[in-house]
Formats: sequence, C-alpha cells, structure tokens
Amino acid sequence: MEEVNFVLLWKEQYKKIDQSLAINKQLLEEVINQKAGSAIQSLIRYKTRGVILAVIYLIILGVVLFYAISNYTSGANYFIISIAVIFLINLKALYDYIKHLVWIKNIDYDGSITLIQEKLTRLHLSIIHHSRFMVLQIPFWTTFQLSDKWFPHSVSWGYIIFQIFLTASFTFLAFWLYKNLTVENTNKKWVKALIEGSGGKSIMKAITFYKEIELFKQES
Amino acid sequence: MIKKIDPGLFLSVIETNKGIIYKIAKLYCKDTEDKKDLVQEIVLKLWKSFEHYNEQFKHSTWIYRVALNTAISFYRKEKSRKEITNPFSENLLNIADVENNKQTEESTLFLNQFIGELKELDKALMLLYLEEKSHKEMAEIMGITETNVATKIGRIKQILKQRFLKPTI
Repeated sequence: MEEVNFVLLWKEQYKKIDQSLAINKQLLEEVINQKAGSAIQSLIRYKTRGVILAVIYLIILGVVLFYAISNYTSGANYFIISIAVIFLINLKALYDYIKHLVWIKNIDYDGSITLIQEKLTRLHLSIIHHSRFMVLQIPFWTTFQLSDKWFPHSVSWGYIIFQIFLTASFTFLAFWLYKNLTVENTNKKWVKALIEGSGGKSIMKAITFYKEIELFKQES
Repeated sequence: MIKKIDPGLFLSVIETNKGIIYKIAKLYCKDTEDKKDLVQEIVLKLWKSFEHYNEQFKHSTWIYRVALNTAISFYRKEKSRKEITNPFSENLLNIADVENNKQTEESTLFLNQFIGELKELDKALMLLYLEEKSHKEMAEIMGITETNVATKIGRIKQILKQRFLKPTI
C-alpha cells in the first residue's frame, strides 16, 4: 500500500465544509451578550445537586441549632456545641467548594494547553482538600447526645469510660483521615476506594488526566 | 489595564477563523447537541478572553489555545460522552469524483477513527499537525518544547502509518 498523505486527506475532507461554513451572526451576538450571566449560570448547571443537598443539610442543622438556642437549658450544652461545630465545618467546606468552582469557571483559557489543563485539574483536585476538612466533624457526632446532667453522678463509670473511648477513637480517626486523605495518597487502594465510593469518580479521572499531562510534558 | 472590546473586530476574527472552532468541536464531540453547546462555549470563552488578547500571538494561535482548552475541559465534564469515530461521513458525500470518493471516504473514516482513539492531548497535537502548524506554533499552543512536539508527532505518525498498512477493521 502506497504511503498516505494524511494532511492532504484531512484537507480534502474539510475543503467543502470550509467553503460552505457560515456563522449565524445573530446567534453569535446573542451568545456574547450572555457574558455577564454566564459564569453564574454555568456554575449553577455544574455540580448543582451536590450544592443543593449541602445547603439543605446546612438549613436543617441551622434550624435545629436555632431551636436549641432559643429554648436553652444547660442540659443542651453538649448538643449546641456539637451541632454548632458540625454546622461551621460544613459551612466552611461548602464555601471553599463554591469558591473553587467559581475559580475553575473564571480561568482565562488563553494559555498553553498543558498549563491551563494542569491548572484546572489541580483546582479540581483541591476539592479533595476541602472535602477532607469535613472529616473533622466526625468526633462531634459522638458528643451531641450527651447531657451535662449525666456527669458524673447519673451514669456509671463504665459508660463514661465507653464514651471517652468512643470520642477519643473518633477524634483519632478524624485526625488520621485528615492527614492521609490527600491527592498524593490517591494511589493507595483505601483512598481510591473511599473517593470512588463517595461519588468521586470525576476526581479519579482528574488524577489520571493529571498524570497524562505530566507524561505528555516529558521529553522522551 | 483592560482593553475596551470591539464587538465588530471580535466578530470578524471569529468569521475568519470559524473553521478552527468547527473542526475542534467536531473532533471532541460526537453528539450534535454537544457540538452545538461546545461551539457556544468556545465562542463565549473567546469573547471573555478577547479583552486580554496578547498581540504577540497570532489570532489563530489564540483561538487554538482557547478552543482546545475549552474542548478538553468540556469533553472531560461529560461522563456519557464517547470518543468520536466518524464525524464527517455525511459531508464526505459531497465530493464530486465518485471513484476518488470511495478511496477517500475509506481512508478518511480510518483517519478519523484513529484520531478519535487518541488521548485528548495527543488529539490536539494531531489536529495541529494536520492543520500544518509549524513546530514552533504547536509548541506555543501545547506548552511543550519544539523537540517534544517533533518526537510526539513522529511517534503518532508512525503508529498511524502502521495502522494504515494493517487495517484492523
């Protein structure tokens, strides 16, 4: 088989298309006039479900917290502090998440392909850093049901030891996860399983793509 | 300082380079609706980027950068999107010479199938090669060295040649 000229082949298939290609100027003007609204619109389209669920979750926590503070009794101290910390951690995580999505949306694409794609992928992966911040709430889920009326006389020592052990273990777990749930550790099986299990397949794809970019940049 | 955008100039730049946008959308999207969305997204990104346009680069280089970056990001966002295999079969029927047509159609299908199987970054590089961009311009667009461009193009061409000699369909 004689050698095929790929460039000619490519030109050939586009020759007619290039000649007949016409731009709908009216539509084009409409598109560029959407500029102001587009960043917000596309952000709303992107990851909407996750943001809505997080907002609903925060509203529920907020209402419960408001109710507990409005009807304050000293017995609710543990509950109020625990829920307040859980609320603040989730609020901060959501804020950072939205901030990053806005950054991703506002990147100027006028840069080299490897540079911009690397930047975008890094920003995407930084969502892991904000997600792991959420594990810090874990210990507070073991304390919200406590009442200061119980201590030290109303409950047995056995229960107190159990509670201390439970909270201490969850604190250790949260701290350990916070330290180890990083992009650098995504090659570890348990991190991969955890990320994929919590719907983070796009993050795993981003990691794969990040490696592809690195490989692409390498002189060989 | 941000430049004041002249919509007329922007429209004329787009008009002159519409083929680039079209080809990139065809290359990265199989679905017609996706293609429409991508073209719109590219134009929007170009419009947003126009006020920062660096005049040291050619308009075409700027368009390739913005359009390819948009296409690769757009492509990655869509979970259901599949690799393209034959984006131009309908348009190929317009070529006048019937005898030549058959050969071209078959080869074109093969070429498009091959491009469709490439990874996103290699696909972008292949497009620039087929568009006869110089190694210097390819390096500027892709953000790699000219030597790296030459090596990668050489490798892709080699695989492509082998595939053309031994069709696996």
